[in-house]
Amino acid sequence: MELIFFAISLVLYLVAGVGFVAHLLVGRDGPRRAAMTALWIAFAAHTIGVALRTAALGNAMLNSFHDQLSLLAWLIVGVYLGVQLRYHLAVLGALVCPLAFLLTLSSYIVFSGAQALPEELQTAWLPAHVAPAFLGYAMFAVASCVSLVYLLQERQVKSKRRGLFRRLPSLETLDDLNYRCVAWGFALFTIGIVTGSLLAKAMWGTFWSWEPVQILSVLAWLLYAVLLQTRSVGWRGRRAATLTIVGFALLVVSFLSLNLGLPHGRSFG
Amino acid sequence: MQHDVLIVGLNHRTAEVGVREAVAFADEQLDDVNRTLCGIEGVDEAAVLCTCNRVEVVGSTRTGFGVADRIAEFLRVAQSGAARDLAPHLYNYWGRDAVRHLFRVASSLDSMVVGEPQILGQLKQFYARAASVGATGAVLHRWFHKAFSVAKRVRTETGIAGRAVSVSSAAVELAATIFDRLDGKTAMLIGAGKIGALAARHLLGNGVGSLMVTNRTFDRAVELARDFSATPVPFEQFAKYLPMADIVIGSTASTSYVLTEAAIHEALRERKGRPIFCIDLSVPRNFDPRINAIDNVYLYDIDDLGAVAEENRDERNREAQKAEHIVTEEVESFWRWLGHLEVVPTIVALREKMEAIRRAELQKTLGSLKELGPRERDALEAMTSAIVNKILHTPITRLKQGDRRSEAFYIDAARRLFDIEDPDES
Repeated sequence: MELIFFAISLVLYLVAGVGFVAHLLVGRDGPRRAAMTALWIAFAAHTIGVALRTAALGNAMLNSFHDQLSLLAWLIVGVYLGVQLRYHLAVLGALVCPLAFLLTLSSYIVFSGAQALPEELQTAWLPAHVAPAFLGYAMFAVASCVSLVYLLQERQVKSKRRGLFRRLPSLETLDDLNYRCVAWGFALFTIGIVTGSLLAKAMWGTFWSWEPVQILSVLAWLLYAVLLQTRSVGWRGRRAATLTIVGFALLVVSFLSLNLGLPHGRSFG
Repeated sequence: MQHDVLIVGLNHRTAEVGVREAVAFADEQLDDVNRTLCGIEGVDEAAVLCTCNRVEVVGSTRTGFGVADRIAEFLRVAQSGAARDLAPHLYNYWGRDAVRHLFRVASSLDSMVVGEPQILGQLKQFYARAASVGATGAVLHRWFHKAFSVAKRVRTETGIAGRAVSVSSAAVELAATIFDRLDGKTAMLIGAGKIGALAARHLLGNGVGSLMVTNRTFDRAVELARDFSATPVPFEQFAKYLPMADIVIGSTASTSYVLTEAAIHEALRERKGRPIFCIDLSVPRNFDPRINAIDNVYLYDIDDLGAVAEENRDERNREAQKAEHIVTEEVESFWRWLGHLEVVPTIVALREKMEAIRRAELQKTLGSLKELGPRERDALEAMTSAIVNKILHTPITRLKQGDRRSEAFYIDAARRLFDIEDPDES
C-alpha cells in the first residue's frame, strides 16, 4: 500500500526536477509554478507513505535501508519547502528534486520488509538519535545544494561569463542561506551525535568504538564547527561553500559505510 | 460607410527636439485641442498624444478624403510659434498601418529607448484626457484598450523590458548578482570622472544607501559630494574608509593603480570577508586587475560592463522581434472588428438572425398544430413577421440615424447584444 505513495512521490520528484530545470533554461514562470505544485503533492504523498510505514513497523523501520533513504529524501524535500517559503530559489529546486528522486529511487530498489529490531535497540534512544541526526543530514544536504549554486554563480560573476547568470540568486543571498542551513544542521547533528553515543553506551556499554561511521561523523562535525567559527574572521563565500560540500561528502560516506557493509560491529547507527 | 482609423504626427525619428518642442501642447491646452480636433471636418473621434518624443493625433473617420491634411494643417497653425513647414516631419498612417503604429507605441517598440516602461502610462493618461471631453467614441475606445492589452501581452510574453543597456545600468544589474539588495549598501566613488558620477547616481537611484566621494583635489570631492548629498573623504585617507564600502567605483585620470591588492586585502580583513564589488570605469585602468583573483572581490572594468550592456542590447532586439509578431496578430484581430463596424451589413445580419429565429419557432408550433387550415397558418405567419418587424423597427432606425460618434457605438452594441459578433473573433 505505502509503495503506491512512494511511487507517486518518485514520479512527481522527477516531474518537479524537470520543471525547475526548464524554468532555469527558458526563464518562464509557468514551469516553476508547475514544479512547485508537483513538489508539494509529492511531499504530501511521501508523508502519507512514511506515516503508513511508521504505523506498520514502528521503530523497526529505522533498521531498514529502504526507510532510511526514503526518510532522508522526505526530510530534504521538507527542508527545501520550508526554505522556499522565505527564499524563492527555484534553482535550488533544480538540485534538490533530482537528489530526492535519486534517494527515493534507491530506496525503491532496496525495498524490503523490516527485520525485527534486535532486543537491545528497542529503546527510546533510537528515535532520539535518528530524528535529529537525519534532520541534520537533510539540512547539510540542502546547504550543499546551496553551496553548489553559490560556486556556480561565483564562477560566473568572477569570470564575467554570463550563462544562467540572471536567473541565479545573488551571492550574498546564497552565502547567507548556506550559513543558516549549516548552523541549524550543526545544532541538530550535535544532538544526534550525543544521543548516538548514549545509544552506543546503552547497547554496547561504550560511548566510542572507533567505527567508520563514528570517526567520519565526528570529522564532519569538527569541520562544520570550524566552518561556523571562521565565518567571523572572514571565511565566507567560496571557501565556506567548498567546506560545506566536503563535510557533506564525509557524511555521505559515513552513512553508506553503515548500510553497505563496511566492517562495523553493529547492526545500526 | 466604412470606418477607418488614422494617425498623423511626428516623433523622435522624424523631427529633432527643436521641432518637437515647438509643436508640443502644454497640459492645459489638451482639452481644447481634443475638442478642436473633433470639430475638424471628417474627424469622428480624436485623441492627441504629446510626450517628449512624439506629438500624434489618433483619430477615426468615415470620409477619409483630406482628413489627414486638415489635421496636419491644424498642427501647423495650432502653435503660433511654429509657423514653419512641418510637412517634412509629419507622417500619416491609415488603416492597418495606423492600428499597428498605436500598438507599437503602446508596447514601447517605437520608443527612443525600446522597452522603456513609461509610455504605456502616458498613453493611458492621454486617452483618458480625450475621453473626458467626449472626443472619443466606440472606435477609439476599443482601439486604445486593445493597445493597452497588446502592451501588456508584450510585457509578459517577451523580455523586452528590464534589460540594462547602458554601462551604468549594467553596473546596477551586476551589483544585484552579488548583493541581496542594494538598500543600506555603501558605495565609494574615487575620482570625479563623468561616467563614474553617472554610475554612482544610478546606484543611488537603485537603493544604495550612502555614498562617499574622494578626489585628489579635495574641493572637487566636496563639490561632487554636495551634488549627491554624499560624504567627501580626503584622498590620502580613502584607504581608511575603504572597508565601509560595499561598492567601489573608480573614475580618475590617474595613470597608476589607485586601488591595489594590498589595500583590498586590508579592507577585506576589516570587513570580515564581506564581498566588495569594484567598478573600474577609467581608461587607463585605476584598479589593479589582479584584485579580481581575490576571494569575495569582484572587479569589472569598463569593457566588461560594456560587454554586458551590449549583450543585453542584442537580447532586447531579439525580444523586440517576438513583440512585433504579437503586434501583427493583434492588428488583424482589431482590423476584423473594425471591418464589421458598418450600418448596412449589421442591419442585414440583425434581420437575418431574427428571421431565422422566427422561422424556427413557427415551424415548431405549426408542427404540433396539424389541424390548422391555410388561413390560420397565414395569419400566424403574418403575426410573427409583424412582431419581429415591430421589435426591430426602433433599433434599425437608431442604427441608420446615428450621428458620426454614436453610429459606431450603436453598431458595436447591436452586434454584441444580438450576438452577431464576427465568428472568428468571439
